Amino acid sequence: MTVAFLIAVDCIRALLHKRLLIALMLVTLGLTVGFSMLLDRSLEFMQGVQEQAIESQEGEMSEAEIQEIRSGLDMAGPFLLGAFFWMAMFGGQLVALYICCTAVSGDIRSGTIRIVLAKPVSRDQFLLGKFCGAVIVMLAYSALIGAAIVAFTHANDLDANTAAHHAPWLMFCQILVVGSVGMLLSLLIHPLLAGVAAFFASASLLSSPNPLYFILPSYDRFNVTHSILTGEMIDLEDVLLLTAYAVDVAAIMMLLALWRFRTREVA
Amino acid sequence: MCVIRTEKLGKTYEGGTVALSALDLEVRAGEVFGFLGPNGAGKSTTIQLLLNFIRPTSGRALLFGKPATSASSRQRIGFLPESVSLNGYYTGWGLLDFYAKLHRVAEADRPRRVDDLLHRVGLQDASRRRVSQYSKGMVQRLGLAQALIGDPDLLLLDEPTTYLDPLGRRDFRDIVLDLKSGGKTVFICSHVLSEVESVCDRVAILQNGVLRRSGTLEELSQARGSTIVASGLNASAIAAISATAAHLTLQGAEAAITCRNAEVRREVEQVLVAEGARVESIERDKESLEDIFLSAVDPRDGS
Repeated sequence: MTVAFLIAVDCIRALLHKRLLIALMLVTLGLTVGFSMLLDRSLEFMQGVQEQAIESQEGEMSEAEIQEIRSGLDMAGPFLLGAFFWMAMFGGQLVALYICCTAVSGDIRSGTIRIVLAKPVSRDQFLLGKFCGAVIVMLAYSALIGAAIVAFTHANDLDANTAAHHAPWLMFCQILVVGSVGMLLSLLIHPLLAGVAAFFASASLLSSPNPLYFILPSYDRFNVTHSILTGEMIDLEDVLLLTAYAVDVAAIMMLLALWRFRTREVA
Repeated sequence: MCVIRTEKLGKTYEGGTVALSALDLEVRAGEVFGFLGPNGAGKSTTIQLLLNFIRPTSGRALLFGKPATSASSRQRIGFLPESVSLNGYYTGWGLLDFYAKLHRVAEADRPRRVDDLLHRVGLQDASRRRVSQYSKGMVQRLGLAQALIGDPDLLLLDEPTTYLDPLGRRDFRDIVLDLKSGGKTVFICSHVLSEVESVCDRVAILQNGVLRRSGTLEELSQARGSTIVASGLNASAIAAISATAAHLTLQGAEAAITCRNAEVRREVEQVLVAEGARVESIERDKESLEDIFLSAVDPRDGS
Protein backbone atom coordinates (compact mmCIF):
# COMPACT_ATOMS: atom_id res chain seq x y z
CA MET A 1 0.00 0.00 0.00
CA THR A 2 2.88 2.35 0.83
CA VAL A 3 4.37 1.74 -2.59
CA ALA A 4 1.05 2.56 -4.32
CA PHE A 5 0.85 5.73 -2.22
CA LEU A 6 4.38 6.73 -3.27
CA ILE A 7 3.48 6.14 -6.91
CA ALA A 8 0.29 8.19 -6.46
CA VAL A 9 2.23 11.12 -4.98
CA ASP A 10 4.76 10.86 -7.80
CA CYS A 11 1.89 10.80 -10.32
CA ILE A 12 0.41 14.01 -8.85
CA ARG A 13 3.83 15.63 -8.98
CA ALA A 14 4.29 14.56 -12.58
CA LEU A 15 0.85 15.82 -13.60
CA LEU A 16 1.38 19.19 -11.92
CA HIS A 17 4.60 19.57 -13.89
CA LYS A 18 2.87 18.95 -17.20
CA ARG A 19 2.55 22.38 -18.73
CA LEU A 20 0.10 21.10 -21.31
CA LEU A 21 -2.24 19.82 -18.60
CA ILE A 22 -2.07 23.04 -16.58
CA ALA A 23 -2.70 25.01 -19.78
CA LEU A 24 -5.63 22.73 -20.65
CA MET A 25 -7.12 23.16 -17.17
CA LEU A 26 -6.78 26.95 -17.29
CA VAL A 27 -8.06 27.19 -20.86
CA THR A 28 -11.14 25.03 -20.18
CA LEU A 29 -11.88 26.98 -17.02
CA GLY A 30 -11.27 30.29 -18.81
CA LEU A 31 -13.43 29.26 -21.77
CA THR A 32 -16.22 28.16 -19.43
CA VAL A 33 -16.21 31.48 -17.62
CA GLY A 34 -15.69 33.47 -20.84
CA PHE A 35 -18.48 31.69 -22.70
CA SER A 36 -20.85 32.15 -19.78
CA MET A 37 -20.01 35.86 -19.49
CA LEU A 38 -20.64 36.30 -23.20
CA LEU A 39 -23.93 34.49 -22.84
CA ASP A 40 -24.76 36.67 -19.86
CA ARG A 41 -24.22 39.84 -21.92
CA SER A 42 -26.34 38.44 -24.78
CA LEU A 43 -29.14 37.51 -22.40
CA GLU A 44 -29.03 40.95 -20.77
CA PHE A 45 -29.29 42.52 -24.22
CA MET A 46 -32.17 40.23 -25.21
CA GLN A 47 -33.92 40.92 -21.93
CA GLY A 48 -33.58 44.65 -22.57
CA VAL A 49 -34.98 44.29 -26.09
CA GLN A 50 -37.89 42.18 -24.90
CA GLU A 51 -38.71 44.56 -22.00
CA GLN A 52 -38.72 47.44 -24.50
CA ALA A 53 -41.00 45.43 -26.77
CA ILE A 54 -43.42 44.81 -23.90
CA GLU A 55 -43.40 48.49 -22.96
CA SER A 56 -43.89 49.70 -26.56
CA GLN A 57 -46.65 47.19 -27.26
CA GLU A 58 -48.41 47.65 -23.92
CA GLY A 59 -52.14 47.55 -24.50
CA GLU A 60 -51.70 45.66 -27.75
CA MET A 61 -50.50 42.45 -26.03
CA SER A 62 -52.69 40.21 -23.95
CA GLU A 63 -51.83 39.53 -20.31
CA ALA A 64 -51.06 35.89 -21.22
CA GLU A 65 -48.57 36.96 -23.91
CA ILE A 66 -46.79 39.32 -21.51
CA GLN A 67 -46.67 36.57 -18.86
CA GLU A 68 -45.18 34.16 -21.36
CA ILE A 69 -42.43 36.62 -22.29
CA ARG A 70 -41.70 37.34 -18.63
CA SER A 71 -41.43 33.63 -17.73
CA GLY A 72 -39.11 33.23 -20.69
CA LEU A 73 -36.93 36.03 -19.30
CA ASP A 74 -36.94 34.37 -15.86
CA MET A 75 -35.40 31.27 -17.45
CA ALA A 76 -32.29 33.29 -18.34
CA GLY A 77 -30.61 32.66 -14.96
CA PRO A 78 -30.89 28.85 -14.93
CA PHE A 79 -30.02 28.78 -18.63
CA LEU A 80 -26.82 30.65 -17.90
CA LEU A 81 -25.93 28.32 -15.05
CA GLY A 82 -26.80 25.30 -17.19
CA ALA A 83 -24.55 26.56 -19.99
CA PHE A 84 -21.74 27.15 -17.50
CA PHE A 85 -22.08 23.63 -16.14
CA TRP A 86 -22.31 22.07 -19.59
CA MET A 87 -19.09 23.80 -20.64
CA ALA A 88 -17.38 22.82 -17.37
CA MET A 89 -18.38 19.18 -17.89
CA PHE A 90 -17.05 19.19 -21.43
CA GLY A 91 -13.77 20.73 -20.29
CA GLY A 92 -13.61 18.31 -17.36
CA GLN A 93 -13.88 15.36 -19.70
CA LEU A 94 -10.97 16.67 -21.81
CA VAL A 95 -8.85 17.18 -18.68
CA ALA A 96 -9.73 13.72 -17.33
CA LEU A 97 -8.90 12.06 -20.63
CA TYR A 98 -5.57 13.86 -20.86
CA ILE A 99 -4.67 12.88 -17.29
CA CYS A 100 -5.74 9.24 -17.50
CA CYS A 101 -4.63 8.47 -21.05
CA THR A 102 -1.10 9.76 -20.41
CA ALA A 103 -0.57 8.72 -16.76
CA VAL A 104 0.74 5.22 -17.58
CA SER A 105 1.28 5.32 -21.32
CA GLY A 106 3.40 8.47 -20.95
CA ASP A 107 5.74 6.63 -18.61
CA ILE A 108 5.91 3.68 -21.00
CA ARG A 109 6.76 5.95 -23.93
CA SER A 110 9.38 7.95 -22.01
CA GLY A 111 10.93 4.82 -20.49
CA THR A 112 10.74 6.01 -16.87
CA ILE A 113 8.48 3.04 -16.10
CA ARG A 114 11.40 0.65 -16.63
CA ILE A 115 13.36 2.13 -13.75
CA VAL A 116 10.33 2.00 -11.42
CA LEU A 117 9.33 -1.54 -12.39
CA ALA A 118 12.92 -2.71 -11.90
CA LYS A 119 12.42 -1.80 -8.24
CA PRO A 120 10.37 -4.05 -5.94
CA VAL A 121 7.15 -2.56 -7.28
CA SER A 122 4.43 -4.83 -8.60
CA ARG A 123 2.49 -3.85 -11.68
CA ASP A 124 -0.73 -3.74 -9.65
CA GLN A 125 0.83 -1.28 -7.20
CA PHE A 126 2.09 0.85 -10.07
CA LEU A 127 -1.25 1.03 -11.88
CA LEU A 128 -3.31 1.59 -8.72
CA GLY A 129 -0.90 4.31 -7.62
CA LYS A 130 -1.17 6.04 -10.99
CA PHE A 131 -4.97 5.79 -10.92
CA CYS A 132 -5.19 7.19 -7.38
CA GLY A 133 -2.89 10.08 -8.35
CA ALA A 134 -5.05 10.83 -11.40
CA VAL A 135 -8.26 10.68 -9.32
CA ILE A 136 -6.86 13.16 -6.79
CA VAL A 137 -5.93 15.63 -9.54
CA MET A 138 -9.40 15.22 -11.11
CA LEU A 139 -11.00 15.78 -7.71
CA ALA A 140 -8.97 18.97 -7.27
CA TYR A 141 -10.06 20.14 -10.73
CA SER A 142 -13.73 19.44 -9.86
CA ALA A 143 -13.31 21.43 -6.64
CA LEU A 144 -11.91 24.29 -8.72
CA ILE A 145 -14.95 24.11 -11.01
CA GLY A 146 -17.21 24.03 -7.95
CA ALA A 147 -15.55 27.18 -6.62
CA ALA A 148 -15.94 28.79 -10.05
CA ILE A 149 -19.68 27.91 -10.10
CA VAL A 150 -20.15 29.47 -6.66
CA ALA A 151 -18.25 32.59 -7.72
CA PHE A 152 -20.18 32.78 -11.00
CA THR A 153 -23.55 32.34 -9.26
CA HIS A 154 -22.77 35.13 -6.83
CA ALA A 155 -21.27 37.44 -9.44
CA ASN A 156 -24.38 37.16 -11.63
CA ASP A 157 -26.82 37.13 -8.75
CA LEU A 158 -28.28 33.81 -9.89
CA ASP A 159 -30.48 31.43 -7.93
CA ALA A 160 -28.66 28.10 -7.68
CA ASN A 161 -31.04 25.17 -7.20
CA THR A 162 -30.08 21.79 -5.71
CA ALA A 163 -29.05 20.51 -9.12
CA ALA A 164 -26.44 23.28 -9.34
CA HIS A 165 -25.26 22.48 -5.81
CA HIS A 166 -24.62 18.86 -6.71
CA ALA A 167 -23.23 19.65 -10.15
CA PRO A 168 -19.48 19.76 -9.25
CA TRP A 169 -19.63 16.40 -7.45
CA LEU A 170 -21.56 14.82 -10.32
CA MET A 171 -19.06 16.28 -12.72
CA PHE A 172 -16.32 14.55 -10.73
CA CYS A 173 -18.28 11.28 -10.92
CA GLN A 174 -18.58 11.68 -14.66
CA ILE A 175 -14.90 12.41 -15.25
CA LEU A 176 -14.02 9.50 -12.95
CA VAL A 177 -15.92 7.19 -15.30
CA VAL A 178 -14.55 8.82 -18.47
CA GLY A 179 -11.02 8.80 -17.05
CA SER A 180 -11.11 5.15 -16.02
CA VAL A 181 -12.35 4.17 -19.49
CA GLY A 182 -9.54 6.29 -20.96
CA MET A 183 -6.91 4.66 -18.76
CA LEU A 184 -8.05 1.16 -19.74
CA LEU A 185 -8.08 2.02 -23.44
CA SER A 186 -4.65 3.70 -23.25
CA LEU A 187 -3.22 0.31 -22.25
CA LEU A 188 -4.68 -1.23 -25.37
CA ILE A 189 -4.24 1.40 -28.09
CA HIS A 190 -2.37 4.64 -28.76
CA PRO A 191 -3.19 7.19 -26.03
CA LEU A 192 -4.57 9.73 -28.50
CA LEU A 193 -6.91 7.17 -30.04
CA ALA A 194 -7.76 5.98 -26.53
CA GLY A 195 -8.79 9.52 -25.59
CA VAL A 196 -11.04 9.89 -28.63
CA ALA A 197 -12.52 6.39 -28.18
CA ALA A 198 -13.14 6.94 -24.46
CA PHE A 199 -14.86 10.26 -25.14
CA PHE A 200 -17.38 8.55 -27.42
CA ALA A 201 -17.61 5.26 -25.49
CA SER A 202 -20.88 6.20 -23.85
CA ALA A 203 -24.13 4.25 -23.92
CA SER A 204 -25.89 7.63 -24.08
CA LEU A 205 -24.91 7.87 -27.74
CA LEU A 206 -26.54 4.51 -28.54
CA SER A 207 -29.99 2.99 -28.35
CA SER A 208 -31.17 -0.34 -26.95
CA PRO A 209 -30.93 -2.67 -30.00
CA ASN A 210 -27.20 -2.02 -30.16
CA PRO A 211 -25.39 -4.55 -27.88
CA LEU A 212 -22.85 -1.86 -26.88
CA TYR A 213 -25.69 0.02 -25.25
CA PHE A 214 -25.76 -2.66 -22.54
CA ILE A 215 -21.97 -2.85 -22.14
CA LEU A 216 -20.75 0.73 -22.23
CA PRO A 217 -21.16 3.07 -19.28
CA SER A 218 -23.46 6.03 -19.66
CA TYR A 219 -21.84 9.44 -19.21
CA ASP A 220 -25.11 11.33 -19.61
CA ARG A 221 -26.49 10.09 -16.30
CA PHE A 222 -24.32 12.69 -14.57
CA ASN A 223 -25.38 15.56 -16.77
CA VAL A 224 -27.70 17.72 -14.67
CA THR A 225 -27.87 20.61 -17.14
CA HIS A 226 -31.54 19.80 -17.82
CA SER A 227 -32.34 19.75 -14.11
CA ILE A 228 -30.61 23.11 -13.64
CA LEU A 229 -32.62 24.56 -16.53
CA THR A 230 -35.98 23.25 -15.38
CA GLY A 231 -35.36 23.78 -11.69
CA GLU A 232 -35.91 20.07 -11.09
CA MET A 233 -34.79 18.94 -7.63
CA ILE A 234 -32.09 16.29 -7.29
CA ASP A 235 -32.39 14.13 -4.18
CA LEU A 236 -29.38 13.16 -2.13
CA GLU A 237 -30.44 9.56 -2.79
CA ASP A 238 -30.01 10.14 -6.54
CA VAL A 239 -26.57 11.62 -5.95
CA LEU A 240 -25.57 8.61 -3.85
CA LEU A 241 -26.85 6.20 -6.50
CA LEU A 242 -24.96 8.04 -9.22
CA THR A 243 -21.83 8.03 -7.04
CA ALA A 244 -22.18 4.28 -6.53
CA TYR A 245 -22.63 3.82 -10.28
CA ALA A 246 -19.46 5.86 -11.00
CA VAL A 247 -17.41 3.94 -8.41
CA ASP A 248 -18.75 0.68 -9.82
CA VAL A 249 -17.82 1.51 -13.40
CA ALA A 250 -14.40 2.85 -12.35
CA ALA A 251 -13.73 -0.33 -10.34
CA ILE A 252 -14.67 -2.56 -13.30
CA MET A 253 -12.49 -0.52 -15.64
CA MET A 254 -9.58 -0.71 -13.21
CA LEU A 255 -9.94 -4.48 -12.81
CA LEU A 256 -9.81 -4.83 -16.59
CA ALA A 257 -6.85 -2.43 -16.71
CA LEU A 258 -4.99 -4.44 -14.04
CA TRP A 259 -5.64 -7.65 -15.94
CA ARG A 260 -4.29 -6.09 -19.13
CA PHE A 261 -1.34 -4.34 -17.49
CA ARG A 262 -0.05 -7.50 -15.80
CA THR A 263 0.86 -8.98 -19.17
CA ARG A 264 1.54 -5.81 -21.12
CA GLU A 265 5.06 -5.40 -22.45
CA VAL A 266 6.68 -2.17 -21.30
CA ALA A 267 9.90 -2.13 -23.32
CA MET B 1 25.02 -20.31 -6.57
CA CYS B 2 23.42 -19.10 -9.79
CA VAL B 3 22.18 -15.53 -9.59
CA ILE B 4 20.91 -15.53 -13.17
CA ARG B 5 19.82 -18.64 -14.96
CA THR B 6 18.07 -18.83 -18.29
CA GLU B 7 16.74 -22.05 -19.75
CA LYS B 8 16.08 -22.10 -23.50
CA LEU B 9 14.97 -18.49 -23.17
CA GLY B 10 13.55 -17.15 -26.42
CA LYS B 11 11.74 -14.11 -27.70
CA THR B 12 10.10 -13.70 -31.07
CA TYR B 13 8.39 -10.37 -31.67
CA GLU B 14 5.15 -9.90 -33.58
CA GLY B 15 5.98 -10.08 -37.25
CA GLY B 16 8.31 -13.01 -36.70
CA THR B 17 11.52 -11.19 -35.75
CA VAL B 18 13.57 -13.56 -33.60
CA ALA B 19 15.31 -11.43 -30.98
CA LEU B 20 16.56 -14.26 -28.81
CA SER B 21 16.83 -17.95 -29.52
CA ALA B 22 16.98 -20.67 -26.82
CA LEU B 23 19.48 -18.89 -24.59
CA ASP B 24 21.05 -21.01 -21.86
CA LEU B 25 23.06 -18.86 -19.51
CA GLU B 26 24.32 -19.04 -15.96
CA VAL B 27 25.79 -16.17 -14.02
CA ARG B 28 27.26 -17.08 -10.67
CA ALA B 29 27.23 -15.03 -7.50
CA GLY B 30 30.10 -12.59 -7.15
CA GLU B 31 31.22 -12.53 -10.75
CA VAL B 32 31.32 -9.69 -13.23
CA PHE B 33 29.76 -11.01 -16.39
CA GLY B 34 30.14 -9.32 -19.77
CA PHE B 35 27.30 -9.84 -22.22
CA LEU B 36 28.65 -8.87 -25.62
CA GLY B 37 27.32 -8.61 -29.09
CA PRO B 38 26.88 -6.25 -32.00
CA ASN B 39 23.89 -3.89 -32.17
CA GLY B 40 20.64 -5.84 -32.36
CA ALA B 41 22.22 -9.04 -31.08
CA GLY B 42 19.56 -9.49 -28.38
CA LYS B 43 21.45 -8.17 -25.34
CA SER B 44 18.83 -5.63 -24.28
CA THR B 45 16.06 -8.12 -25.03
CA THR B 46 17.69 -10.52 -22.57
CA ILE B 47 17.79 -7.85 -19.85
CA GLN B 48 14.16 -6.93 -20.54
CA LEU B 49 13.20 -10.58 -20.20
CA LEU B 50 15.14 -10.86 -16.94
CA LEU B 51 13.27 -7.86 -15.56
CA ASN B 52 9.87 -9.05 -16.82
CA PHE B 53 9.42 -5.99 -19.03
CA ILE B 54 8.63 -8.33 -21.89
CA ARG B 55 7.33 -11.90 -21.96
CA PRO B 56 9.38 -14.78 -23.30
CA THR B 57 7.93 -16.78 -26.16
CA SER B 58 9.85 -19.84 -24.97
CA GLY B 59 11.89 -20.99 -21.99
CA ARG B 60 12.21 -19.22 -18.68
CA ALA B 61 14.46 -16.96 -16.66
CA LEU B 62 15.30 -17.28 -12.98
CA LEU B 63 16.79 -14.65 -10.70
CA PHE B 64 18.13 -15.88 -7.35
CA GLY B 65 16.30 -19.11 -8.09
CA LYS B 66 12.91 -17.40 -8.42
CA PRO B 67 10.99 -16.76 -11.65
CA ALA B 68 11.86 -13.39 -13.18
CA THR B 69 8.18 -12.44 -12.96
CA SER B 70 8.38 -12.26 -9.15
CA ALA B 71 8.51 -8.67 -7.83
CA SER B 72 10.25 -9.83 -4.65
CA SER B 73 13.38 -10.89 -6.56
CA ARG B 74 13.75 -7.28 -7.69
CA GLN B 75 14.39 -6.22 -4.09
CA ARG B 76 17.95 -7.49 -4.67
CA ILE B 77 18.43 -6.02 -8.13
CA GLY B 78 19.74 -2.72 -9.45
CA PHE B 79 19.16 -1.79 -13.08
CA LEU B 80 20.61 0.84 -15.36
CA PRO B 81 18.86 0.97 -18.76
CA GLU B 82 20.60 1.77 -22.03
CA SER B 83 19.03 5.19 -22.50
CA VAL B 84 18.33 6.46 -19.03
CA SER B 85 15.08 8.39 -18.74
CA LEU B 86 14.48 10.00 -15.35
CA ASN B 87 11.69 12.21 -14.02
CA GLY B 88 13.02 15.70 -14.70
CA TYR B 89 10.82 17.42 -12.11
CA TYR B 90 12.83 16.02 -9.18
CA THR B 91 16.15 17.28 -7.96
CA GLY B 92 18.92 14.72 -8.10
CA TRP B 93 18.62 14.24 -4.33
CA GLY B 94 14.82 14.05 -4.42
CA LEU B 95 14.83 11.45 -7.18
CA LEU B 96 17.25 9.17 -5.34
CA ASP B 97 15.20 9.63 -2.17
CA PHE B 98 12.04 8.59 -4.07
CA TYR B 99 13.73 5.46 -5.45
CA ALA B 100 15.15 4.68 -1.99
CA LYS B 101 11.60 4.77 -0.61
CA LEU B 102 10.45 2.40 -3.37
CA HIS B 103 13.33 0.13 -2.37
CA ARG B 104 12.10 0.30 1.23
CA VAL B 105 15.41 1.67 2.49
CA ALA B 106 14.98 2.41 6.20
CA GLU B 107 14.09 6.05 6.84
CA ALA B 108 17.05 6.55 9.19
CA ASP B 109 19.53 5.33 6.54
CA ARG B 110 18.00 7.10 3.54
CA PRO B 111 19.59 10.58 3.68
CA ARG B 112 23.06 9.13 4.29
CA ARG B 113 22.64 6.53 1.51
CA VAL B 114 21.49 9.21 -0.95
CA ASP B 115 24.34 11.56 -0.02
CA ASP B 116 26.91 8.76 -0.27
CA LEU B 117 25.75 7.68 -3.69
CA LEU B 118 25.63 11.21 -5.07
CA HIS B 119 29.18 11.64 -3.83
CA ARG B 120 30.21 8.29 -5.30
CA VAL B 121 29.00 9.21 -8.80
CA GLY B 122 30.37 12.76 -8.53
CA LEU B 123 27.04 14.60 -8.41
CA GLN B 124 27.22 16.00 -4.89
CA ASP B 125 27.44 19.58 -6.19
CA ALA B 126 24.43 19.15 -8.48
CA SER B 127 22.25 17.32 -5.96
CA ARG B 128 19.84 20.24 -5.47
CA ARG B 129 19.44 20.96 -9.19
CA ARG B 130 16.50 19.65 -11.15
CA VAL B 131 17.26 16.54 -13.18
CA SER B 132 15.83 18.29 -16.27
CA GLN B 133 18.86 20.62 -16.10
CA TYR B 134 21.38 17.75 -16.06
CA SER B 135 23.57 16.90 -19.04
CA LYS B 136 23.36 13.43 -20.58
CA GLY B 137 26.49 12.36 -18.75
CA MET B 138 25.08 13.57 -15.43
CA VAL B 139 21.81 11.71 -16.08
CA GLN B 140 23.86 8.57 -16.78
CA ARG B 141 25.72 9.01 -13.49
CA LEU B 142 22.45 9.56 -11.64
CA GLY B 143 21.10 6.48 -13.40
CA LEU B 144 24.00 4.47 -12.00
CA ALA B 145 23.33 5.91 -8.53
CA GLN B 146 19.65 4.90 -8.64
CA ALA B 147 20.70 1.40 -9.68
CA LEU B 148 22.82 1.19 -6.53
CA ILE B 149 20.28 2.75 -4.14
CA GLY B 150 18.91 -0.54 -2.82
CA ASP B 151 22.41 -1.96 -2.19
CA PRO B 152 21.64 -4.68 -4.77
CA ASP B 153 23.22 -8.12 -4.89
CA LEU B 154 22.85 -8.13 -8.66
CA LEU B 155 23.45 -5.15 -10.89
CA LEU B 156 22.15 -5.24 -14.47
CA LEU B 157 23.85 -2.60 -16.61
CA ASP B 158 22.80 -2.03 -20.22
CA GLU B 159 25.45 -0.10 -22.15
CA PRO B 160 26.44 1.73 -18.96
CA THR B 161 29.10 4.05 -20.36
CA THR B 162 27.27 5.32 -23.44
CA TYR B 163 27.24 9.00 -22.45
CA LEU B 164 30.18 9.02 -20.05
CA ASP B 165 33.38 10.95 -20.68
CA PRO B 166 36.75 9.24 -20.02
CA LEU B 167 36.67 10.40 -16.41
CA GLY B 168 33.19 9.00 -15.98
CA ARG B 169 34.28 5.71 -17.56
CA ARG B 170 37.14 5.44 -15.12
CA ASP B 171 34.79 6.15 -12.19
CA PHE B 172 32.41 3.53 -13.55
CA ARG B 173 35.20 0.95 -13.75
CA ASP B 174 36.22 1.73 -10.17
CA ILE B 175 32.63 1.33 -8.96
CA VAL B 176 32.29 -2.05 -10.70
CA LEU B 177 35.58 -3.24 -9.23
CA ASP B 178 34.40 -2.03 -5.79
CA LEU B 179 31.18 -3.99 -6.18
CA LYS B 180 33.13 -7.04 -7.28
CA SER B 181 35.36 -6.85 -4.23
CA GLY B 182 32.21 -6.55 -2.12
CA GLY B 183 30.95 -9.85 -3.52
CA LYS B 184 28.23 -8.35 -5.71
CA THR B 185 27.27 -9.79 -9.09
CA VAL B 186 27.45 -7.45 -12.06
CA PHE B 187 25.94 -8.22 -15.47
CA ILE B 188 27.17 -5.78 -18.12
CA CYS B 189 25.71 -5.56 -21.62
CA SER B 190 28.08 -3.70 -23.85
CA HIS B 191 29.82 -3.50 -27.15
CA VAL B 192 32.66 -1.42 -25.74
CA LEU B 193 35.07 -4.33 -25.46
CA SER B 194 37.85 -2.53 -23.63
CA GLU B 195 35.59 -1.66 -20.71
CA VAL B 196 34.35 -5.25 -20.45
CA GLU B 197 37.84 -6.72 -20.76
CA SER B 198 39.12 -4.64 -17.87
CA VAL B 199 36.49 -5.74 -15.35
CA CYS B 200 34.79 -8.98 -16.42
CA ASP B 201 35.48 -12.48 -15.14
CA ARG B 202 33.42 -14.20 -17.76
CA VAL B 203 31.84 -13.15 -21.03
CA ALA B 204 29.19 -14.41 -23.42
CA ILE B 205 29.00 -13.34 -27.04
CA LEU B 206 25.65 -13.11 -28.72
CA GLN B 207 24.79 -12.55 -32.35
CA ASN B 208 21.33 -12.46 -33.91
CA GLY B 209 19.86 -13.81 -30.70
CA VAL B 210 22.13 -16.87 -30.71
CA LEU B 211 24.82 -17.47 -28.09
CA ARG B 212 28.08 -17.84 -30.03
CA ARG B 213 30.59 -18.33 -27.23
CA SER B 214 30.83 -18.04 -23.48
CA GLY B 215 33.45 -18.59 -20.81
CA THR B 216 36.30 -16.89 -19.02
CA LEU B 217 38.64 -14.75 -21.09
CA GLU B 218 41.27 -17.41 -20.49
CA GLU B 219 39.04 -20.15 -21.83
CA LEU B 220 38.00 -18.19 -24.87
CA SER B 221 41.40 -16.98 -25.96
CA GLN B 222 42.95 -19.52 -28.26
CA ALA B 223 46.70 -19.42 -28.67
CA ARG B 224 47.09 -17.81 -32.05
CA GLY B 225 50.81 -18.39 -32.30
CA SER B 226 53.73 -19.18 -30.05
CA THR B 227 57.45 -18.73 -29.69
CA ILE B 228 59.55 -21.71 -28.58
CA VAL B 229 62.99 -21.07 -27.14
CA ALA B 230 65.14 -24.19 -27.46
CA SER B 231 68.79 -25.09 -26.86
CA GLY B 232 71.05 -27.91 -27.95
CA LEU B 233 70.01 -27.84 -31.58
CA ASN B 234 72.24 -29.71 -34.00
CA ALA B 235 72.48 -29.14 -37.76
CA SER B 236 69.92 -31.79 -38.62
CA ALA B 237 67.46 -30.30 -36.14
CA ILE B 238 67.95 -26.85 -37.65
CA ALA B 239 67.41 -28.28 -41.14
CA ALA B 240 64.29 -30.18 -40.05
CA ILE B 241 62.79 -27.08 -38.36
CA SER B 242 63.64 -24.92 -41.37
CA ALA B 243 61.69 -27.38 -43.50
CA THR B 244 58.53 -26.66 -41.46
CA ALA B 245 56.43 -23.50 -41.63
CA ALA B 246 58.10 -22.16 -38.48
CA HIS B 247 60.59 -19.31 -38.48
CA LEU B 248 63.88 -19.97 -36.76
CA THR B 249 66.27 -17.35 -35.36
CA LEU B 250 69.54 -18.40 -33.77
CA GLN B 251 70.52 -16.42 -30.68
CA GLY B 252 73.87 -17.81 -29.54
CA ALA B 253 73.40 -21.28 -28.06
CA GLU B 254 69.62 -20.89 -28.18
CA ALA B 255 67.13 -20.68 -31.00
CA ALA B 256 63.84 -18.78 -31.05
CA ILE B 257 61.28 -20.63 -33.15
CA THR B 258 58.14 -18.70 -34.04
CA CYS B 259 55.16 -20.92 -34.82
CA ARG B 260 52.17 -19.48 -36.67
CA ASN B 261 49.61 -21.78 -35.12
CA ALA B 262 49.13 -24.81 -32.91
CA GLU B 263 49.67 -27.26 -35.77
CA VAL B 264 53.10 -25.84 -36.65
CA ARG B 265 53.98 -25.74 -32.95
CA ARG B 266 53.22 -29.46 -32.57
CA GLU B 267 55.31 -30.26 -35.64
CA VAL B 268 58.27 -28.29 -34.24
CA GLU B 269 57.90 -29.90 -30.81
CA GLN B 270 58.07 -33.35 -32.46
CA VAL B 271 61.27 -32.39 -34.29
CA LEU B 272 62.84 -31.02 -31.11
CA VAL B 273 62.01 -34.18 -29.18
CA ALA B 274 63.29 -36.42 -32.03
CA GLU B 275 66.56 -34.47 -32.30
CA GLY B 276 67.15 -34.43 -28.54
CA ALA B 277 66.98 -30.64 -28.21
CA ARG B 278 65.80 -28.99 -25.01
CA VAL B 279 62.75 -26.74 -24.84
CA GLU B 280 63.61 -23.78 -22.58
CA SER B 281 60.25 -21.98 -22.79
CA ILE B 282 57.07 -21.65 -24.83
CA GLU B 283 55.38 -18.26 -24.99
CA ARG B 284 51.87 -18.18 -26.37
CA ASP B 285 50.39 -15.10 -28.01
CA LYS B 286 46.94 -14.76 -26.46
CA GLU B 287 43.93 -13.32 -28.27
CA SER B 288 42.55 -10.05 -27.02
CA LEU B 289 38.82 -9.79 -26.29
CA GLU B 290 38.47 -7.94 -29.57
CA ASP B 291 40.03 -10.90 -31.41
CA ILE B 292 37.72 -13.29 -29.57
CA PHE B 293 34.71 -11.12 -30.39
CA LEU B 294 35.61 -10.76 -34.05
CA SER B 295 36.24 -14.46 -34.44
CA ALA B 296 32.91 -15.29 -32.74
CA VAL B 297 30.82 -12.83 -34.71
CA ASP B 298 30.22 -13.54 -38.36
CA PRO B 299 30.43 -10.22 -40.22
CA ARG B 300 28.23 -11.59 -43.03
CA ASP B 301 25.52 -12.37 -40.51
CA GLY B 302 24.25 -8.79 -40.35
CA SER B 303 22.59 -7.88 -37.08
